[in-house]
Amino acid sequence: MNKIWLFMVLSSLVVLIFVNPSMTLDSMISASASALELCLELCGVYAVWLGLLEIVDATGLGKKLAKLLRPIIKKLFRVDNEEIEKMIALNMSANMLGLGNAATPMGIKAMQKMDDGSGKATFAMIMLIVVNATSIQLLPSTVIGLRSAAGSSNPADIVLPTLLSTIVTTVLGISFVLLCDFVSRKFRRRKK
Amino acid sequence: MSIYILPVLFVGLFIYGYFKKINTYDTFVKGAKGAIELAVSIFPFVATIMIAVALLRLSGITELLAKLLAPVFKFVGIPNELCELVLLRPFTGSGSYALLNDVFATYGPDSYISRCASVILGCSETIFYVATVYFSQTKVKKLYYAIPCALLASIFGAIVGCLLCRVM
Repeated sequence: MNKIWLFMVLSSLVVLIFVNPSMTLDSMISASASALELCLELCGVYAVWLGLLEIVDATGLGKKLAKLLRPIIKKLFRVDNEEIEKMIALNMSANMLGLGNAATPMGIKAMQKMDDGSGKATFAMIMLIVVNATSIQLLPSTVIGLRSAAGSSNPADIVLPTLLSTIVTTVLGISFVLLCDFVSRKFRRRKK
Repeated sequence: MSIYILPVLFVGLFIYGYFKKINTYDTFVKGAKGAIELAVSIFPFVATIMIAVALLRLSGITELLAKLLAPVFKFVGIPNELCELVLLRPFTGSGSYALLNDVFATYGPDSYISRCASVILGCSETIFYVATVYFSQTKVKKLYYAIPCALLASIFGAIVGCLLCRVM
């Protein structure tokens, strides 16, 4: 992340010295201001979902959901901890419903619990990131909304191709992680 | 149909909570308490990534990259007009939705290009944003192969999506 960010910022800044030096600072400030706006909105989103999450937790529904999804989660993430399983189960359910922002607080909680302080991402953490970053969406509601606002004659006709490609993305993402894990473990063994 | 899913789920949850003898009000407040802290703690991460994206766009580097990569995109079947969208998608959600609206306005929402753009956005996520925010509360510095795997999978998803738009 450090290298990617430095590369993005440095290359843009060098170009901007020649192209548009006067707007540089302005655009940085306005970007950070819109980040604040986004966080403010997210704060509202999180309050709703964390409130509901607490109720889900208190009723024991979270545990039940985790139990239901346990076989998949155990196989996929190779974790064995009820609390983590529960957070991952809720995170995945929210993602499937197309509620990416609701999935975030659960994902962060799962990450915190999986953190061993070594500074290195574990297999389960990487899997969680990839599953979230390629998540299966049953209904792309934002896109449909924008399409109908733009006057489309059939705004929902992209649902099926979207669903199929999101399945492709998720399956490939998971396979890539499994492959990378396999290769890196083999590599490490050979080193020993 | 889908508009009923969430309200119905919420009703179910509150009724279930009532029968389980849970003080829903107290519990909700307790959960909601964490929201400000969470939003505040992810702010620096969101701001940092959004500044980088703003600079990239202002400098014209994304446009240049899109032009340079156009032959590659053409080869795999992604329309040239969508290069910038595909490049920016992993970094910014709001930015890519703004681009999607531009595409709708320019080519009409029912054109092949617009449908491709819709599918590409619908089947992908803001990968860098997800990675930074999810790891923001941990000590993790080394992400290993997480981002490359997600990026590669998304690119394949986009290719498949454009292909499907041609036949569906």
